[in-house]
Amino acid sequence: MNLFNTIYNWLDERIDLKTLQAKMLNEPMPGGSKYAYAFGSVLVFIFIMQAVTGVLLMFYYAPTADHAWQSTQYILKELDYGWFLLSFHFWGSSAMVVMVVCHMLQVFIWGAYKKPREMVWLAGTILFMIVMGFGFTGYLLPWDQRAFWATTVGVEIMDKAPIVGDFMARFLRGGPTAGALTLSRFFVIHVMILPAALVGMATLHIFFFRKAGPAGPYKAIKKDLEAKMEYFFPRQVYKDIVAMALVFVAIAGLAYFSPVEMLDEASPEPTDYNPEPEWYFLFLFQLLRLPIFSGEFGEFLGAIALPGLFMLLLMALPFINRNPERHPLKRPFAMSAIVILFIGIAVLTWMAILSRSE
Amino acid sequence: MVLKIKSKVRCSDREVGEVSRVIIDPIEKSIREIVVLSDGEERVVPLDGQAVVTDGLVQFGFPSSRLGQFPRLERGNYQQVKEVEIAGLERHLEVFPGEALVPVPTLEKDITRRTFFTNFTNAIGVALALPLVYPVLRYLTFPMYQGFNNNWIKIGKTQSLPEVDKPRQMKFEVKVKEGYLEREFQKSNWVVKLSDTLRDEIYKGKPIEYKDAGGKVYWVNQPDTEVAVFSGKCPHLGCAYKWKENHKRFGRVFWCPCHLSIYDPGGKVLDGPAPRRLDVLPTRINSGGEIEIIDAEFKAGKEFPIRIV
Repeated sequence: MNLFNTIYNWLDERIDLKTLQAKMLNEPMPGGSKYAYAFGSVLVFIFIMQAVTGVLLMFYYAPTADHAWQSTQYILKELDYGWFLLSFHFWGSSAMVVMVVCHMLQVFIWGAYKKPREMVWLAGTILFMIVMGFGFTGYLLPWDQRAFWATTVGVEIMDKAPIVGDFMARFLRGGPTAGALTLSRFFVIHVMILPAALVGMATLHIFFFRKAGPAGPYKAIKKDLEAKMEYFFPRQVYKDIVAMALVFVAIAGLAYFSPVEMLDEASPEPTDYNPEPEWYFLFLFQLLRLPIFSGEFGEFLGAIALPGLFMLLLMALPFINRNPERHPLKRPFAMSAIVILFIGIAVLTWMAILSRSE
Repeated sequence: MVLKIKSKVRCSDREVGEVSRVIIDPIEKSIREIVVLSDGEERVVPLDGQAVVTDGLVQFGFPSSRLGQFPRLERGNYQQVKEVEIAGLERHLEVFPGEALVPVPTLEKDITRRTFFTNFTNAIGVALALPLVYPVLRYLTFPMYQGFNNNWIKIGKTQSLPEVDKPRQMKFEVKVKEGYLEREFQKSNWVVKLSDTLRDEIYKGKPIEYKDAGGKVYWVNQPDTEVAVFSGKCPHLGCAYKWKENHKRFGRVFWCPCHLSIYDPGGKVLDGPAPRRLDVLPTRINSGGEIEIIDAEFKAGKEFPIRIV
């Protein structure tokens, strides 16, 4: 018996490790493993990478208005491989958003949010908002012009919420306008509050998922489901790690070939920079330019009511859509709605990109 | 269906043995087969329609001679349920391996004491958290609401604006104390020497009054002020707008790159989502022709300007 086994058995005797390990790995998946099921694991992987690169960046980053830009420049220009870690963190955040959307889309198409998986979906929608919060708060930290103006406009949008808007916006900024205290607040939200919230929520999400069990394919007869049944380990774990490797190569490649470029230090004097949010918020940005969302009330509609209503609808989805049918072709309404939504987002994003040259 | 391990198993002619194990269907989460221990051999028998399960007894319709046709249990083909995570299995499983009991401690039998402890645990928990709420709220909201700074700032000279209706950006340095930090940075406003047309458009013959939070007037811009100074902040969502000499549709306009609001040189909205005209700042011109302003900022996105800085 080698040393590893000795330690393993010693631990097993005390904490019942074998059962724990068996429970974690021996999760029967009706219909077997699939690459389509890899998104959740990939998200856990990206989050771990973001946490690791984030902690490394904090070794040198100074979250104060008079040093944030300089310390980020130092990471980018002087430190060995600082540019790579920062760029990996930057592209990792985009990858996170892309994977969250893929994950939700897969669950939507498979009809896997339906009973008994409502709680899994609910925790998932909250995780979606946390990921968006990460993107929004992290964007300010380099304290360059891009960061400053995206935050100025983003918080102004929050200000448009009825009753609590003014308070929320001031609370986030630590004052009436974006400045030094805003940076401190965004920093603590980005590196403490959101990670804690994400870890907690993700744990709940996985717990709910394990309690409800995997949904499996949307069309199959029982005999096939059992004939093709596999445990989570080893085939699904293998497929997950292949997907993680692909995502890793993609993020690392983007970081290598398209590293972060910073603009001038943040200032209320914008010089010739034209403010624009991160690409995944571009459609919202373009939405607010539309004539129907002009004026005080129009702005409220476009900036608060519409996105708020969308999030509510998203959370309520398994409670509104209670038909147990899971096959996408037998859910024409749900499928057309999602197609229209994505066409809308694509068109708005494209419009925003086109009008850059104006 | 109540099925007990160790239940007796009977065939149509005689008792053959007992239930030694059950086999669960992982998808249906119910018992699919039972393992019958008979004459020292374990055989896997499906629990289909022909079996009648009563308390302590499984009755099959077939004679005992057919028992030998069922396959022997290959233990290696199965795993214990505790080694597998099948969601919701416990709730579906109707197998009683017999109850194993421990006595309830005597002190735990008194239900009123239990309620007492629960309530006091909650009460003490709340009592611990409550005194922190107000200080924490004050701590976090401390810098959010500040008074307004009504100092006059010199931003340039009227002589630098030779032509009417031709706006110029004027930059100025401000020193701001934000929490523990004192920072100096540049800001800018747009200044335009007014023609009579623009003057009428902005003032409509009436002076502009500026009120503080209490409603008291702290400054009045007279319509005969030579120039108008526009806050550099777009009243839509607070971006910094720019001057364009040759906009495709509107010609000489202020143009915000964010959401494409467009204003004429007098600050009137020509196009785009802005809810109000550009904000005119409190302005005076001293004897030396120097333009002085109060660097006020107004809340974006409202129909009427509400001062925030």
